[in-house]
Amino acid sequence: MDERPAASHSGPHKVLLAFYALFVLAAGARSAFQLATELGRAPLAYSLSAVAACTYAAGWVAIRRASVGRTGFASVMLWVELAGVLAVGTLSLVRSSWFADASVWSEYGVGYGFVPAVLPVAGLFWLRHQRRGGRRPGSPVPTGTP
Amino acid sequence: MLDGLSYVAIVASALVTVGAGVLFAVRRSRPRRLDTAAWVLEVILLIRAVAGAGTLLHGVKAAEPAPYLGYLIASVCVMPVALGALTEDRERWSNAVVAVAALALAVISVRLLMTWGGGRG
Repeated sequence: MDERPAASHSGPHKVLLAFYALFVLAAGARSAFQLATELGRAPLAYSLSAVAACTYAAGWVAIRRASVGRTGFASVMLWVELAGVLAVGTLSLVRSSWFADASVWSEYGVGYGFVPAVLPVAGLFWLRHQRRGGRRPGSPVPTGTP
Repeated sequence: MLDGLSYVAIVASALVTVGAGVLFAVRRSRPRRLDTAAWVLEVILLIRAVAGAGTLLHGVKAAEPAPYLGYLIASVCVMPVALGALTEDRERWSNAVVAVAALALAVISVRLLMTWGGGRG
């Protein structure tokens, strides 16, 4: 097989991957620490932070796959992530008593400069561009075969 | 001294963020000079981390010990991982990745200051 490695092709997905990696680290470390040391204080918020960390890990994989033409997983994951941010963000505002402490997606990610709300939207824009054949010349062409 | 090092790291991170952002905005490929600046930032953070770990080993407690330790570890990992992911990529978008990493390090450095809280003997 003469397939170029995904890492050799540049583009906006590299920035998305950087953000997703950072959020896996931030949300993962935060939720792991909170779940391990103070679970009883805000179980819903801390569990939702763990869910966010898993979503970012899946999102990282999805974008990496989409960058080489396999967009199916990303088209699901990015919508799931956006739905999660919007649902948790809205719940944290209308049912604030459920959240004894903030989660990563509380108030649409205000604790992270609203990056959690912007990230899936940016990802969906990139994905649309990717599907329209906006990939760089010379990048691997998706064949649809394993 | 630790606070001073944190402030130096914040300023250095901000400079790398702005430099990489400008290079991205003017559509330049990533120059070796940006890599050098990123590694200088890494050295500053490494000195900050060693000094921070040394202080902890001498029995001084941070205001928020576990998050502080987490930020200390993260502060030395982010830039090598970012540059490692860009070894074969010197195109325009690699500048943006360096800018994101440096911005994250500025935030981490601020969080280091906050979670350290001056330390408690």
